[in-house]
Amino acid sequence: MTTASAPLTEYKSWAVEEFRLEEEPYYVPVSDEIEIFQAAWNNKIPVLLKGPTGCGKTRFVEYMAYHLNRPLAVVRDGKTEIEEESNLPLVTVACHEDLTASDLVGRYLLEGNETVWIDGPLTRAVKAGAICYLDEVVEARKDTTVLIHPLTDHRRILPVEKKSQLLQARDGFLLVISFNPGYQSALKDLKQSTRQRFVAVEFDYPPRETEAEIVQHEAGCSPEIALNLAKMAEKIRNLREHGLAEGASTRLLIYAGRMIAQGVSPRRACQVSIVWPLTDDGEVQRSIEEVVSSIFED
Amino acid sequence: MTTQLVEEAREGLRQFPPALAQEFESALETVQPVLEPDELAQWLRDGLDIARHSLRSWEAASEYFRASGPVLEQITYDRMREWCAVGIELMETSPALSGALFRASPTVLPHLSVPQANDWAAQGKSLYKGTWKSGSLSAQYFDVSPQILPHLPLSQMRLLVDLIDSLASHSYELASACLGMAPGVLAQLDRADRAPFLEFGGIVAHTAWVDARVYFERGPGALRQVGEEQRPRYLSLAGQVAMQVGRLGHPYFIEAAQALSEVDKDIHEGLLELSEQLAQHSGDAAMEFIKSSPRVAERLGIDDIARWQEFGLNILQQSRDGGEAFFRLESARGEEVMEALSSRVDLDRVSELIRMYCKALTGVDVGVKASEELTAKGVGWVDESSPTTEGTTIYLPENVERYPTKEENFAVYKVFATHQAGRLEFGSFEYQSQINPELFASESNGTQNGHGTSSGNGVAGVAPAGVEGEAPEIHTDMEIFFDQFEDRRLAHDLFTIVEDTRIDTIVKREYAGVRRAFSRLQQAAIDRRRPVEDMPARQAMVENLLRASLDEIGRIRWPGELAEEMRSPLRVLNRIRQEGATVQDSAAATALLYEWLSNIPNVELDTEDWSDFEQEMSGDPDSGEDSDMMPGSGSSGLEESFMPFMPGSEEQPYDSPDPVDFRGDFKPELVQLLMKLKGETGSGDAPPIPLTKEQLQELLEKSVEISINELMDMDLAESSGMFLDNLLKEVNQIQGERQEGQQAMGDDSTGAEDGEELPVEAASFYYDEWDFRAADYKPRWCRVQEQRGEAGTTNYYAETLHEHTQLVQETRKQFEMLRPEMFRKMKRLTDGEDYDLDAVIEWYTEKIAGGASETKLFYRRNKVERDVAVAFLLDVSASTDEEIQKHHDQRQDDQFDDDPRKYLSWWAQRRAEAARHPGKRIIDLEKEAVVLLIEALETIGDKYGVYGFSGYGRDNVEFFVYKDMDEPFGDRIKERIDKIAPVRSTRMGPAIRHCIWKLQNTDAKVKILILLSDGRPQDHGYGRDRTEKEYAIHDTKMALTEARREGMIPFALTVDRAGHDYLKQMCQDMAYEVVADIESLPRRLPALYRRLTG
Repeated sequence: MTTASAPLTEYKSWAVEEFRLEEEPYYVPVSDEIEIFQAAWNNKIPVLLKGPTGCGKTRFVEYMAYHLNRPLAVVRDGKTEIEEESNLPLVTVACHEDLTASDLVGRYLLEGNETVWIDGPLTRAVKAGAICYLDEVVEARKDTTVLIHPLTDHRRILPVEKKSQLLQARDGFLLVISFNPGYQSALKDLKQSTRQRFVAVEFDYPPRETEAEIVQHEAGCSPEIALNLAKMAEKIRNLREHGLAEGASTRLLIYAGRMIAQGVSPRRACQVSIVWPLTDDGEVQRSIEEVVSSIFED
Repeated sequence: MTTQLVEEAREGLRQFPPALAQEFESALETVQPVLEPDELAQWLRDGLDIARHSLRSWEAASEYFRASGPVLEQITYDRMREWCAVGIELMETSPALSGALFRASPTVLPHLSVPQANDWAAQGKSLYKGTWKSGSLSAQYFDVSPQILPHLPLSQMRLLVDLIDSLASHSYELASACLGMAPGVLAQLDRADRAPFLEFGGIVAHTAWVDARVYFERGPGALRQVGEEQRPRYLSLAGQVAMQVGRLGHPYFIEAAQALSEVDKDIHEGLLELSEQLAQHSGDAAMEFIKSSPRVAERLGIDDIARWQEFGLNILQQSRDGGEAFFRLESARGEEVMEALSSRVDLDRVSELIRMYCKALTGVDVGVKASEELTAKGVGWVDESSPTTEGTTIYLPENVERYPTKEENFAVYKVFATHQAGRLEFGSFEYQSQINPELFASESNGTQNGHGTSSGNGVAGVAPAGVEGEAPEIHTDMEIFFDQFEDRRLAHDLFTIVEDTRIDTIVKREYAGVRRAFSRLQQAAIDRRRPVEDMPARQAMVENLLRASLDEIGRIRWPGELAEEMRSPLRVLNRIRQEGATVQDSAAATALLYEWLSNIPNVELDTEDWSDFEQEMSGDPDSGEDSDMMPGSGSSGLEESFMPFMPGSEEQPYDSPDPVDFRGDFKPELVQLLMKLKGETGSGDAPPIPLTKEQLQELLEKSVEISINELMDMDLAESSGMFLDNLLKEVNQIQGERQEGQQAMGDDSTGAEDGEELPVEAASFYYDEWDFRAADYKPRWCRVQEQRGEAGTTNYYAETLHEHTQLVQETRKQFEMLRPEMFRKMKRLTDGEDYDLDAVIEWYTEKIAGGASETKLFYRRNKVERDVAVAFLLDVSASTDEEIQKHHDQRQDDQFDDDPRKYLSWWAQRRAEAARHPGKRIIDLEKEAVVLLIEALETIGDKYGVYGFSGYGRDNVEFFVYKDMDEPFGDRIKERIDKIAPVRSTRMGPAIRHCIWKLQNTDAKVKILILLSDGRPQDHGYGRDRTEKEYAIHDTKMALTEARREGMIPFALTVDRAGHDYLKQMCQDMAYEVVADIESLPRRLPALYRRLTG
């Protein structure tokens, strides 16, 4: 929808409500999270995903969006839209500390000699009946909660203040937020009034064998390497809260696995894709490197 | 004619005291027979001439006569005349000297030739300065010559004489004392050392004459500490140094010699050579180098010492002070270079690293400490150098210096740590008697679980000890296991071998990366084993098992005829290497092995047929047939097969195999006991079990792990009692810590009402200090002792607030204005929350006018967070005790109208008044300022800490915490502020560094350090002497710079009117302020803070 003639808008383009996953994302369930999510979606209960970084929260949402089906037909505003059975659109918003309510809802843009209203990602998701996934929601400004609250209870309403509108969410719409209880400071905890609007699914890093399977699939490395990476991650995660803010994520393991699959030596691969990203503390780095060198031979 | 001459002489002597005549007569008797008549005549004439020479010369004559006989026994009369001519010539100088010369002659002659007499006498003469004292010294010279000359050739006598002469110019007493000591001193020295010793002595006499006596007393002893060959060299070096450093020369000589005694004599030469190089630049550095050598040599070989010295020499050439500090080991660089050169790895440098490594491997909070700390506890561990663990902490040797590089030595640590961590990770201490093994399931019936369920089916020699019935819960599972065996030592040794095999196998499988280092240590361990051939049969078998456990099947030596007997146990051992083996399997395997081995007689094997053992099953551990692992019925057959090799059939005592260094001590029974006592059993929630001493005693007597004899040499009852005490102490300590922890938590929640703060022991922190002369840090130079401020009452706080009601309200209001608005609108942005209407209108207008260019049309509300942490550091040194209102008192003094009758009442009145309104001191104003500031800070919610510092000397910098950064404000704080009081000196540097550390551990965007003082920094040893200001100011400046480097804002505030001069230097480009009017401090401080953070 952006045009080159509108220089002010060229960097503000969202075509997000159209986004659908074409292929099935790879996801290995760790426990009953799929059933829980399905049940929540069926009942229009928003979902809160808790867990450390890189343990598969986003992938899980993608996987669910792919598998959840919208109703066949929906009637709204006198129009009947016939939808083919297809997977849900997924609107993902990575929240950051400057993310404001209008970033989510929408804003007026100048175009030619007039202003044009542009829907924000949340508005689009509400209208399209998509899953709206607010990643790391506590990072966003507090005024976003104003939007979240009416959307997440029985009303399922999005107030669009600037247009003096209320939007009723279309069926299929589901708000999913993620939140990492580990690393934020106490200041950035989620308020009780917000938390208590969600069902929560807790994530943690998968057990060694499962993680090895995931790493092997995603990284395309050998099973031995994958298992060793998973073992190593397990050891490194023992250092959480003892010099390390967060354990090595599955994502990092996959990176390491890919590096190794590319021919980088395992120790070096772990250094660049695990040790260094994890911490800047020299002492901790060395401890982790010792763990790495204990597990990988070269 | 002769007689006549004699008579004439007698006549001539009559005018002198009769003593002379007597000497003459007795001399005549011995002389007359040996002299020709003309010689005799000459002799008589000479004697008379001497006597008549001058007033007291008869005494010399008397000596002449007395010496004549003995002298003539040694030399001819002609020679004697020659000799005596020297003495007679000396008469011209002093007859007394001449007498002394004659007196010494008989005993000196064996050491001197007649022509040397002149030289000898001249030296004595040189000491004579025409005074009585010098005369007596000179005479002493002749007197002691006979004792000196055996040790010192006349040619070197000059050295001694010069030395004495030089001393004599300061003190004749000292010179005389030293001369008296000389023979004894020289006798103690090796011949070659004597001249250098005197040469250095000469320099000492010159540069530090008072040390001469000490030098004579202690010098030879000190010198003996130096390598024999090197002593002359050392002395000449000491001399060279003394010429430069003056008075310090001699102490250096003594101390450096002492230091040399602590290093290997082989490197003395090298050290001296290096020191000589330094001496060309700085005598101090040369000697400090030697003094530091014991510590350096501990870490470095001589080649590396040379490299280290070279590095220091470079520094020395640039900066004398720097170089000297380097060699004094008082510079961080000196340590660093040494560390870099040394291949040794010290535990304290890597312990944190290893701790985290072990934590990562095991997932539990293990500590890493030096083995010494465990042995010092006296709870059963005795070996200070081997790694071990007691279940919660991994103990490692203090340092490793086995290989030539740091990497290799660290690898040794890693293997040690990995093995010990493996014991924790893979459950060596988790044996439970009720659980069946995985791999050994089929055989376990009967051999396992011997306790309680009896061991009916043919476990020969295994009898459960009588533990049934009596409170079994006090017994650890491990103990119950060992109770099954008659020979606990054997069982324990076998279990150790099996379990270590299991652990090593798992470790190598799981941690492929350490395999290489592991194998290297295994190889080294096996190379050190004692030969098996000397051992009796059972012991040899255990030894072979141990070798097998080190992956060295090839190193097993065993009689070929008995190959079958060895094969079975090896197979059992090998099975433990299978994946999935647990400690239960180890126990089962131990039981099997025990059964087998206890049937092997421990006898000398009489065979020449020792051969390398080839195990056909050496690869695959699974291939072993279970059936032949069972000792089964063949137990009697075992003995039979040994029969032919048992010449005397004498059972030898069984000795445990030598320990394997990298595996260290393994005491599962003790560990389980400790864990049980501490309530840390595997099952988790079991409460700590109170054990009586008697129960422990019983355990102690049974356990083979605790060898009391090694523990301490006392009689058994006493030492075991001691052991028990230690053990209980260890356990209680841990429980105590826990309770303390709970209590502390309770304290916080219940608040301050219940008063009594526990006296907190000072925690120590170490900081470097900046030495500006050396341009380097002195490592770990200052010790800061942190302690909580004493608590008084809250009244002071309330009163201060009351006194300054007006001011409090003012500042509070001002501070409230500081409180940030939550959002601040930022306009004219290229992107933002929404359009800024003004900008849009403007833009649109321009656009219509045809020239729109402005694109910044958005606004954004930015959240402004006030995130400030501030540490206030108060100077509570003694100088803050000073009153600041003396002039008032002055006036009161004037009011006294000189009427003595009224004086007493006036005085009493004045005292009372003074007590009511004591003059305000600097510290009082500091306190008031703090109170006001706290009030203000509480309104804006900044994080803050209030600290005070004082102390005396570098190892005692007191750091008082009145309010810690994260401590909530409350009555306690108020109480502590009440008790802020002046203490001692002002060593600012370390206090600032400690504050920096506090701030580092506080999370805030803006960190401020405010230093409030009343004068310049000074302390004992804070500079060359108490009056030196430079050093302290530079260190303080460096500390403030460090704060800035850490991203903090340091600010110095002083009430010292003369503050400008040094603050300018201390703070240079940093902010500081001198509060001119001290009394305005309480008002000034909050205002200043506002300015800093607003």
